Amino acid sequence: MNELSCEDVLMSQMAAADGEEPQFAKEQLAAHVAACANCQHELQESQALNHVLAGHTLAEQHVDLWPAIENRIAKRSNSVIGWRPFALIGLLLVIYKLLEMLPARDLGLAFKLVPLVIVAFLFVLIKENPFRINTELVLER
Amino acid sequence: MDDTEAIKSCQQGDREAFRHLVERYQRRAVTHATAILLNRDDAEDAVQDAFIDAFKAIGAFDTSRTFYQWFYVLLRNRCYKLTSKRRPAESLDEALLLTAHRGVADETRLALEKALHSLTREEREIVSLKYFSGLSYDELATQLQIPRGTVMSRLFYARRKLQGELGGFLIREREV
Repeated sequence: MNELSCEDVLMSQMAAADGEEPQFAKEQLAAHVAACANCQHELQESQALNHVLAGHTLAEQHVDLWPAIENRIAKRSNSVIGWRPFALIGLLLVIYKLLEMLPARDLGLAFKLVPLVIVAFLFVLIKENPFRINTELVLER
Repeated sequence: MDDTEAIKSCQQGDREAFRHLVERYQRRAVTHATAILLNRDDAEDAVQDAFIDAFKAIGAFDTSRTFYQWFYVLLRNRCYKLTSKRRPAESLDEALLLTAHRGVADETRLALEKALHSLTREEREIVSLKYFSGLSYDELATQLQIPRGTVMSRLFYARRKLQGELGGFLIREREV
């Protein structure tokens, strides 16, 4: 049988005190503890710690987060954009490309500006400013 | 309304059912988040964010787990994100963690809180869940998504640190 280290013994005793199945036989643990002054001292400290821990509970925090959460959910639902506007924009861009491919047709400057207008509309739709510089970004450590 | 019923209703977009879940678990969540973050305001922020995450992801709820087990994973992710950005409360009063049972000296509570502050967030989390929320090693392994062996070793080393921090108090405790 392998000799148990102090750490094996103390960890097993901790598990036993926590109501869990220890990894080693009780007799094996007891034999080690009986012959080891260090483990005897550590076990006494461990029992004292258990006593201190048992005298406390986590302080219950009284909160009502629902109004704030409800507000955020409502904002989120209002800002969710369905797939249809994006499908429409895609379709308009495809039509534009097809028209552009028609041979020997000059549809003028206004026609050339159509994709720009569509992209500008897209930014309005998603409520994003493409020229905004985000100063809140933080480099990940 | 029980949790299963509430979750089914949430999956169909029922906000009132989600309210039931928030009201049922918010206190426990803030208590656990405070134990990780050591800051009540940050804990409330993390819990709010985690509930929003839960609302978005409720369609993917893992029915093999209880709501709180599933939600706790979202909560600790939010807490860990916050801990990398913010500092814990400077004074112990800012993040009152513990309530002492009758007959326990306030001095002991303060010493234990101070000792808990000296642990890493992972150690403090596991000690809180084990000794103040009463989870078993298997439950800890599931909730924290770590092997049972890691649960044992993390608890063991956290306890050693606590013993070191509480030195004098433990000697007195042994003499009582």
